[in-house]
Amino acid sequence: MDAESILHMLDVESAAEHRTDGWWVDVPDLDVRGLATLMRTREVRFVTLTGTPDTAGGYRLIYHWDADGALLNIATTVSAGCIASIADIWPAADWVERELRDYYALVFEGRAETPTLMLLEGDEPGLFSRTSAAGREIDPAVTARDAAEAERKES
Amino acid sequence: MSPVITMGPFHPALEEPYKIDVVCEGEHVTDASIRVGFNFRAIEWLAERKNYTADIALFEHVCGICSNVHTLCLSRAIETLAGIEVPERAQYIRVVVAEAERLHSHLLWAGIACELIGFETLFMACFGLREKIMDVLEAISGNRVNYAMNRPGGVNRDIADPGAVLAAVRAIADATSKQLIPVLTTDATVRARCAGVGVLTRADAIAYGAVGPTARASGLPQDIRASAPYEAYDRLLFEVPVRQEGDVFARVVVRALEILESCRIIEQAIEQMPAGPFRGDDYPKVPAGEVCSRIEGPRGEVFYYVASDGSDTPTRVRVRTPTFANMPTARPMVLGQTFADVPLIQASLDPCYSCTDR
Repeated sequence: MDAESILHMLDVESAAEHRTDGWWVDVPDLDVRGLATLMRTREVRFVTLTGTPDTAGGYRLIYHWDADGALLNIATTVSAGCIASIADIWPAADWVERELRDYYALVFEGRAETPTLMLLEGDEPGLFSRTSAAGREIDPAVTARDAAEAERKES
Repeated sequence: MSPVITMGPFHPALEEPYKIDVVCEGEHVTDASIRVGFNFRAIEWLAERKNYTADIALFEHVCGICSNVHTLCLSRAIETLAGIEVPERAQYIRVVVAEAERLHSHLLWAGIACELIGFETLFMACFGLREKIMDVLEAISGNRVNYAMNRPGGVNRDIADPGAVLAAVRAIADATSKQLIPVLTTDATVRARCAGVGVLTRADAIAYGAVGPTARASGLPQDIRASAPYEAYDRLLFEVPVRQEGDVFARVVVRALEILESCRIIEQAIEQMPAGPFRGDDYPKVPAGEVCSRIEGPRGEVFYYVASDGSDTPTRVRVRTPTFANMPTARPMVLGQTFADVPLIQASLDPCYSCTDR
């Protein structure tokens, strides 16, 4: 199914913008599970999910889809740090949801568990947020375990 | 209780760190879980602290095998944001280097697969062919890997000796069609180890978001070069090999046929390449905005998202590598298979853990 038909079905046609890299639309109150189900039934390929901090202290999540070769980017806002998981609908989303928890401590609701992907087991999630906070600009390669070990040696 | 057998994080057949916990009933696999991240480098975090010039060099190091696709994808993202046109000659040079990299990657994979199958002679033949294209890449860029060819607005170097590229590519195409493909498709050992093994159904390929040869071997005709052409691909003729079986054998055949298609693309690109400049004069100023960029790497679709606030440093660079998409498909592939086939099934994805652990 092509991108324009998907945008029409989502009733966001008028808000969507066509750029050289594909279609873009911001849907602040996006029903991500409804979107995921629609894409699954129409065989619109899940490409990935991008998470990025926004200026209001929340996060912007962009769901990227391939609709007949065209890239469809549907963005939403996460203000309270949690959003519904789509990993049970799209197994392709499992790793990227775990990765976004690693980086920004985002909670994907509905998952039985969200194990670390890039971090070590037991590391505190939110590595990028934590290391980017004012006055705490530290190398993310220094893991929680490394820090605890350094603290132990100092004491 | 069923035994859980852990392979990795250091596996003798795949010299990169990953871990797979395999649950077995007798000889057969009933469940599996994959663990990555052993070499996590937080490259996306680093990118937000380096300017665009430094980021090009940084992303060249996402992968050792397909380093060129990362600088190409990032350069294209920057060019889209900055609204700059790439000279036509540079577009063709980018295609030649990208396809040479695909040849080197596919021949490397074919060699390793042959070694895993137990076919040492064919392993040597694949690596012999791979040396020819490595020599071409070294002659063009000065390096066997990490070619540093791409820059926003063009490429850093011209192709000084197109005739040598043509000669090497024709030799590879000849050996692939007369030696490699006949042996890979008819040899009893290869068929016994690969046919019907590690099947990824079309439905699972969609659900897991498989890309590249892994997806194409499961009946999905997706290839960014054809569906959303970039650089000079819309002016070049090529086929997208697709197989329906979804097994290891299909993945072998798809990659072997893609070697021939890459040779065909390089020949056309060299013959059609116009004279003229191969890069712009000024390094671009990147305005505020956001953009996505996709290209077809040897292992499949490479995806970049770049956000800019108008400064010389991006506010976010997100990378989705092909192996990140393909690696989870190993689970449905190994279910019901014999434990002895797990390494070959894993290898049939052509996994890259360097890419995954960005």
